[in-house]
Amino acid sequence: MKFWSIIKLSWKNVWRNKHRSGVVIIAVVLGTWAGIFSTGLMNGLSSQYITNQLNISVSHLQVHHPKYNEENLPRYFIPNADSVLNEIQRYDFVSSASARSVVQGLAASATNTYGVTAKGVVLEQDTLVSELYSYIQEGENLSLDARNPILIGDDLAKRLKLELRSRLVVNFQDVEGNLTGGAFRVAGIFDTPNSSFDETQVFVNREDLNRLLGRDQTVHEIAIMVDNFKNADIYRDSLAQTSTLQFQSWGDVSPSLRYTDSSLDLALYIFMVIIAIALSFGIVNTMLMAVLERTQELGMLMAIGVNRLRTFSMIMLETLFLTMVGVPFGMLLSWITIEWVSEVGIDLSAFAEGLEDYGMSTMIYPELPEGYFVNIGLLMLVATLFAAIYPSIKALRLNPVQAIRKV
Amino acid sequence: MSIIQVRDIKKVYNKDQVPVHALNGVDLDINEGEFTAIVGPSGSGKTTLLNIIGGLDEPTEGKVKIHGTDMFSLKERELIDFRLHHIGFVFQAYNLIPVLTAKENIAFILQMQGRPQKECNQRSMELLKMVGLEDKVDKRPAELSGGQQQRVAVARALASKPDFVLADEPTANLDSASTANLLDMMLRLNEEESITFIFSTHDQRVVERARRVVTLVDGKVDSDEQRTSNIEQGTSN
Repeated sequence: MKFWSIIKLSWKNVWRNKHRSGVVIIAVVLGTWAGIFSTGLMNGLSSQYITNQLNISVSHLQVHHPKYNEENLPRYFIPNADSVLNEIQRYDFVSSASARSVVQGLAASATNTYGVTAKGVVLEQDTLVSELYSYIQEGENLSLDARNPILIGDDLAKRLKLELRSRLVVNFQDVEGNLTGGAFRVAGIFDTPNSSFDETQVFVNREDLNRLLGRDQTVHEIAIMVDNFKNADIYRDSLAQTSTLQFQSWGDVSPSLRYTDSSLDLALYIFMVIIAIALSFGIVNTMLMAVLERTQELGMLMAIGVNRLRTFSMIMLETLFLTMVGVPFGMLLSWITIEWVSEVGIDLSAFAEGLEDYGMSTMIYPELPEGYFVNIGLLMLVATLFAAIYPSIKALRLNPVQAIRKV
Repeated sequence: MSIIQVRDIKKVYNKDQVPVHALNGVDLDINEGEFTAIVGPSGSGKTTLLNIIGGLDEPTEGKVKIHGTDMFSLKERELIDFRLHHIGFVFQAYNLIPVLTAKENIAFILQMQGRPQKECNQRSMELLKMVGLEDKVDKRPAELSGGQQQRVAVARALASKPDFVLADEPTANLDSASTANLLDMMLRLNEEESITFIFSTHDQRVVERARRVVTLVDGKVDSDEQRTSNIEQGTSN
């Protein structure tokens, strides 16, 4: 009964100054919305970045000769690659796999040269592990009918001043370590969200590349896609159990991606905490005003026998009520915004060049798992309650005699 | 029977800087059912004495006993609880809670005491009737006149059936008619319900109707005048 009366009084006090409470509630709504929406945006941006990297270049798992990553030499190919590939494809969690031959070489056009990684692929296999082929902007895909077709990125095309059907010579070592090379015709030009990839990666038919390598069944890399990329480390261990080959998860292949993924949560929460702190200062100001404005009344309450705990609770509850009204609305608003924007996307093509340098898409689709909504809501609640402590203590420290006489 | 015993109370403000001696050894006994006015010029220590009797301010020296309980030997929490159950307060500026209705303002004290809601409602209604405001039950303070607000404040002070009511300049903000009405009501409650009132005042109209007048000068009791009857005087206004 005693505490219930304090709860009721606190609720009524919230609506004592409707304008001020309204402003605070709007601030809480906007703070929550801004926090959740921008978290969703950052999460969407990062997720798209990771997904792009995995789906276009890194894949979920990679298999190499144990020495391949140390020296990157063509002689470190995977022995009996076909049977290894068949073995891998038997696992339930493996969605698709592609065996590639890979060389590091120097691409030369009529005007310029540039260092590239040339990947020899079997198109039917590789389209299942890489989305690269959906990014072909000009020309067509690799074909076995054409003579030495090659896919290059738009950035390499610009650098080497190449167009469709232009001739491109790629020089590299064969499996014996001898210098070799071949002339290719540009069949297609792709433009992925990663300009660095577009500048350094070229794709040819494996058959063509292996002919130049001097060994028909050469495979340096098996790229694997699994049912859930988050489980890649577990699957890697499972696949590696009975093999002498080197199995790497996407995190092993690209530690920066793993770091991006693992630090995303932390970064998002740090961002939210900053917003919550900013909001807290607004709450401190408002509640302090509320306390100072009601000094006489608080003094009276203390004089007639409302103890310090109840006075403290009253101010805390007022803040809690303001937050409880604001946070759900903020959460609802941000959920609606994220749902809508995740459909239509945010077009950042004006910043395309900068974004693509970092491998990011120019269309951003915010996304946020449900758990974040709850956690962010709780964070806002804690932050505002924390903000109410100082005004509540200020109320506690009032001397009833002086407070009652204050005009 | 003496319900309040004030013994050699001294109060010094700013002890460490320029000391101000607000009370210089006050001895006073208040008996049950008295209607006492504490008067004196500004700075004579009236409000300080009332605050000390009400347990809101601590004396520098001396003791205050209420029904034999030494108030300042109580811990802070016990003292707050003591005030809640034993002392009614009426303030110069009414100090009602603006977001609560007249009835809720009165019930609030009872709720703080942990009384059941039914009892709170019943007692609040009784008290509003007692102070002649039964038609203002659901009015908030802003919807009441100053005199009406002070009546609600008196009703609130009486809600917990306290041992006595302390009123600091209760008529200072009221016009003549409201002052007369309030005094009539307080005297009636004093007569009919044996409620002990102690109030500080500058107002000669109030002093005239008090049964006992304690005059403070320079923080000491200068005179303590007992009057036999004033009901007739009060009702004549």
